Amino acid sequence: MRIAAPTDRKTEPGVVGSVLVEPDEARVLGSLADQLQTLLGDALSAGDVRDTALKRLLPDAYRNDPELADEWRRLSRGGLVDRKIGFARTLSVALQPIAASGQAATISLTFDAALDWVRGIGDVRLVIADRMGITVDGDEGAFSEPGVRDVYELLAWMQDALVQLLDEAQPPGATTDGSLP
Amino acid sequence: MTSLTAAAPLLDEKVDRQLDERVLHAAEVPWSTVVWNDPVNLQSYVAWVFRRHFGFGESTAHELMMQVHIEGRATLAHGNREHMERHAETMHEYGLWATVEKDDR
Repeated sequence: MRIAAPTDRKTEPGVVGSVLVEPDEARVLGSLADQLQTLLGDALSAGDVRDTALKRLLPDAYRNDPELADEWRRLSRGGLVDRKIGFARTLSVALQPIAASGQAATISLTFDAALDWVRGIGDVRLVIADRMGITVDGDEGAFSEPGVRDVYELLAWMQDALVQLLDEAQPPGATTDGSLP
Repeated sequence: MTSLTAAAPLLDEKVDRQLDERVLHAAEVPWSTVVWNDPVNLQSYVAWVFRRHFGFGESTAHELMMQVHIEGRATLAHGNREHMERHAETMHEYGLWATVEKDDR
């Protein structure tokens, strides 16, 4: 995998960077993004979330007030889950053709797509960390299937590289996401 | 609605206290958005989210990120409850662990 800033911003307006993806990487990441969408979909149908990874993806907004926490869940969870599924779907849709064709390809990312990627990848990492038993800083985790740690590290590298792309493309402060500090 | 009225003030305290007492409208009660440490998200990512969403400069965002990392939590914003809930929801979109709490008074 290689994540790069565009060499010439004029040829592809709106593109903030590109990701060169190998077929194996597309298959693994695409599968994880698909699984994330299923997991999030379960949260909508389940009502009461018990999975610790889902609890981390969709934390209570109030720690010590069950009534406010319930109200918050009722009002915000559906929209939040939909948006998170959307982030993961952006990953799945982009990666699927590469996984299917078996040929490495370069994916061009707009600012919005890169924003979806960095958030979808962050959510996948949260779930993997939960499954690996990573609970405190510097934790190696208690268990993992072979290769899972490599994927977790690759996703960390991607998160950092995407932050750099987004930062160069549109330094924070230049625009906000519509909310006041 | 939150009232600052003490449950049962002693009689001789009551008059003095009344000078400071009034019922606050919900919008006036200060709340805050708190972000909690997690062992997963990268420091570069957390600092960038703070800059992007809250509009902090690089050094402030870095300090707050380090506060989260070292002390386990940092307060990112103060304001009315609805506004703090919106911040928390946006932090959740970014995968950060955020909560809303009432300010100490």
